[in-house]
Amino acid sequence: MSSFFSQSVWLVPCYTLLGMGLSALWMPSITRKTGPRPAGYLNIVCTVTAFVHSCLAFLEIRHQSALKPSLVWLKAADLTLTIDLDISSITVGALILITGINFLAQIYAIAYLEMDWGWARFFATMGLFEAGMCSLVLCNSLFFSYVILEVLTLGTYLLIGYWFNQSLVVTGARDAFLTKRIGDLFLLMGVVALLPLAGTWNFDGLATWAATADLDPTMATLLCLTLIAGPLGKCAQFPLHLWLDEAMESPVPATIVRSSLVVGTGAWVLIKLQPIFALSDFASTFMVAIGATTAIGASLVAIAQIDIKRSLSYSVSAYMGMVFMAVGTQQDETTLVLLLTYGVAMALLVMAIGSVVLTNITQDLTQYGGLWSRRPITGICYLVGAASLVALPPFGGFWSLAQLTSNLWANRPLLAVILIVVNGLTAFSVMREFSLIFGGKPKHMMVRSPEGLWALVLPMVILTGFALHSPLILATLDFLPDWQQLNLLSVGCLVFSTIFGGGIALYLYLSESISKPLNVVPESIRDFFARDLYTAELYDNTVVLGVAFISKIVDWLDRYFVDGVINFFGVFTIFGGQSLKYNNSGQSQYYLFSIVFGLLVFVYIIFYPYFSSLSF
Amino acid sequence: MLSLLLIIPLLGIGLLNLCPQQFSRNIAAVTILSTFSISTWLLFGLDLSNPELQFTEFLPWLEILGLNYNVGVDGLSLPLIVLNGFLTLVAIYSIGENNNRPRLYHSLILFVNSGIAGALMASNLLLFFLFYELELIPFYLLIAIWGGKKKGYASTKFLIYTAISGLFVLGAFLGMTWLSESPTFDLENLTLSNLDLDTKIILLTVLLIGFGIKIPLVPLHTWLPDAYVEANCAVTVLLGGVFAKLGTYGLIRFGLQLFPEAWQSVAPVLAIIGTVSVMYGSLAAISQRDLKRMVAYSSIGHMGYILVATAAGTELSVLGAVAQMISHSLILALLFHLVGIIERKVGTRDLDVLNGLMNPVRGMPLTSSLLILAGMASAGIPGLIGFISEFMVFQGSFSRFPIPTLLCIIASGLTAVYFVILLNRTCFGRLNNDLAYYPKVILSEKIPAIALTLTIIFFGLQPSFLTRWIEPTTTQFVATMEMQTIALEAEQPFISN
Repeated sequence: MSSFFSQSVWLVPCYTLLGMGLSALWMPSITRKTGPRPAGYLNIVCTVTAFVHSCLAFLEIRHQSALKPSLVWLKAADLTLTIDLDISSITVGALILITGINFLAQIYAIAYLEMDWGWARFFATMGLFEAGMCSLVLCNSLFFSYVILEVLTLGTYLLIGYWFNQSLVVTGARDAFLTKRIGDLFLLMGVVALLPLAGTWNFDGLATWAATADLDPTMATLLCLTLIAGPLGKCAQFPLHLWLDEAMESPVPATIVRSSLVVGTGAWVLIKLQPIFALSDFASTFMVAIGATTAIGASLVAIAQIDIKRSLSYSVSAYMGMVFMAVGTQQDETTLVLLLTYGVAMALLVMAIGSVVLTNITQDLTQYGGLWSRRPITGICYLVGAASLVALPPFGGFWSLAQLTSNLWANRPLLAVILIVVNGLTAFSVMREFSLIFGGKPKHMMVRSPEGLWALVLPMVILTGFALHSPLILATLDFLPDWQQLNLLSVGCLVFSTIFGGGIALYLYLSESISKPLNVVPESIRDFFARDLYTAELYDNTVVLGVAFISKIVDWLDRYFVDGVINFFGVFTIFGGQSLKYNNSGQSQYYLFSIVFGLLVFVYIIFYPYFSSLSF
Repeated sequence: MLSLLLIIPLLGIGLLNLCPQQFSRNIAAVTILSTFSISTWLLFGLDLSNPELQFTEFLPWLEILGLNYNVGVDGLSLPLIVLNGFLTLVAIYSIGENNNRPRLYHSLILFVNSGIAGALMASNLLLFFLFYELELIPFYLLIAIWGGKKKGYASTKFLIYTAISGLFVLGAFLGMTWLSESPTFDLENLTLSNLDLDTKIILLTVLLIGFGIKIPLVPLHTWLPDAYVEANCAVTVLLGGVFAKLGTYGLIRFGLQLFPEAWQSVAPVLAIIGTVSVMYGSLAAISQRDLKRMVAYSSIGHMGYILVATAAGTELSVLGAVAQMISHSLILALLFHLVGIIERKVGTRDLDVLNGLMNPVRGMPLTSSLLILAGMASAGIPGLIGFISEFMVFQGSFSRFPIPTLLCIIASGLTAVYFVILLNRTCFGRLNNDLAYYPKVILSEKIPAIALTLTIIFFGLQPSFLTRWIEPTTTQFVATMEMQTIALEAEQPFISN
């Protein structure tokens, strides 16, 4: 069997980069002549090429062993940077997912940005995003993984800042960039510190090194923590989760990609780094603790939101918390399956929500109601997305969550319980949204709400079909868990939690007899969760205030102290000259006196050694 | 051949003063283009296997003083000379169309170009000093004539500061030559090994203060914000891009190369000063309200990285330091060029007033896109030149000074903070449609920006094109330094204790 496509699979990120470059050419002056659309179409063509190439490569590589080519990029002094690639069925499979969802998101963007003139900018950054993700999955070197994560941070900033004349967008972009950058810089510290120890950044090399490394435990823990910090920011985990919900200000097509794929890139890097985390027990515990906290916290916060998109964004954080728990308990393969099923389901949910928001102007859940009769296709897509997200057999999410819970049940029952609770809460949250949007009678803003343009509906429906088939796909790829090995009790609890959570939401929000808005919890608790545990206020009053304060002090010191001393010398010199000029009185006695006085001082200094040696 | 780089600009000055003043820009551009091509040609003719000075020329001059016309270039100076030509071209086009004294301006710019090239190629201490001091005159005039409101204050402050810097440098040079009893000031005759360590440390300290003013290092930096802000942006491109680099160049050429053992003793202190500069510059930049002032403080921060890396003195860090010099020059030049465009078109530099320049219809989309790129390059986003040079600095210095390096990494996060503030205030936001009637950005302003951008991206993606010239020389420096330190320790084992 030929291996042309798998050997040249490195072209996939290049296609998307080419797409970026072509779109970026459509500057305003060209856009004025041709309209903005060619930029988008060119990019879509590049994405399709990338998708087709990945599929062909997958067919080739499926039954072959992994290829690991490498290329020296920079050799400077004792530093050698090589571009290491890892071309295996898993990475190429991830490429298919990435290019596929990107393709659908770009089609979706045709409709979503129908009236927008900034296509060039949008598609160029989408191309950058896609190229970043494609190269990240292919990359087999920690250094380049870091590089790509940074580029993705830049891409996030530009995509969120797309509608830059709205103030919320500007702050959202700022927060996303800075929060992710904090994580990235910790990762950079880890990357820099790791090289002298391990001598390589190649993931395989690192694994070999970590197996035999003899490292000071404190050092190992610190190293692992810095390496976790980068993915922590990417996956929007506590305490760096704040950016994700502000990022919802970006256009929905970008949100599709970000919520389903980009957040997963952090987890991907974590899986690659797994051998190093074996050096420190604390690191794994830390990951699990962060993941569990985020999972519970974010799923509660999601329930308290009244903004459609923000509610969904906290579910993303919650899910990534589960992914962190999975990585922290060394279940790499399950994590990958979880990322796959999650990616498809979340993309579908965001698409459905976006199509609702686009034609209904508002994002406020309390304004919605009764869309089921107006938007059945969107409703069905949302339901399929929700069912694939949570553990509901036979949909996709069930299989990965069941495997995860069942693995945890025996050794770490607490984590399994947390997982079941989070699953229930997520089911509640998505069904709450569903009931509020689609249930009940149409409210006045919802009376006229048609399905969107074909470009909006088609990708959604395609993805629905894919989500429905995902169990079959998992089965073909041998990713389905073995029934014999599953702990049926845990799986039962899991399914029950889904049905219970979803059922309660449906009952509470659909039942006519219960008055809305619900008042089941005290206002202070509701506010606590609705305002994201006051994290934004916490940051404003600590880190932001601190940096602002210190920079003010430095600026003040610079202006008045450092520069003040210098200016004092200047003023002093002028003052000295000005006051000394009055000595020029014209009296020759005075001049003579000063000459004699000066001479005496001079003579004294010159002959001081002789005077001091004299003894009287 | 090297002398051509000095003579051609001087001939250009003569020519453009003889011609009508509407030609002076083109004459200056052609002049610089020719020296730029010559220096690029020399770059490709440089023998990379030979780390010593090449293309040397020697002409006895005032032998009684020990001053000879002795020039040569190596992997450290030649890239900077090429850069000098490139940035001078940018400065010629960056001044804008409404330049009311084009002859004087372009003469001074050509003079600056020739002088800086002279300082970079001089291999006689006194000759270096002559060029080093000669720079002050044109720069003083450039700031004082084409400057902003407080140009008198800024230019005088600049002159006094840098003249004092010159005095320290001269003092150190005289001390080095006389105390070591060298016959001339020529670099190759100078061996300081017969001096004892204390004398060397004193001489090195004097030298460091001299160059420290030029770089500038905190707390000797206060001339910089005033000079950079008050000078025209075109002049600032040269000030920050090449003039300040003479300080770091001198540090490596005369500090690291001539005082290998003493360098090891002062290195920890230097690393701390460098780290303080980095933190100080970044923090001070955050609270600025003036676009230009913010970029000026960012420059203080970025020059600190160079000092940390030079202090660390490993092969990679010194290479990184030189790469960072070049990358910082390119990025700074792009930033100031764009800031200059914004200042000219919008009429303000106030971050509280500027808004929404990304607007594709009434704003300046290309300028702001490139400003975003420049800001990101300065903040160290990969794929651009700033990242790889900073990374070499970090990786190279980490083994020697782990804590300062980590602090520098944190400071690069602060860089991101102020650039995001800058970009959010200028490029993002809502443009005031009633006031936004800005003149169009013309092609001669766009071309330098695009050329700089392409260079930044090119070296970001292909850094080996940058490092290949520098590496032989810096490797040689470090090897000599390590060899001499080892030799010294073998001779006087107590030093290592």
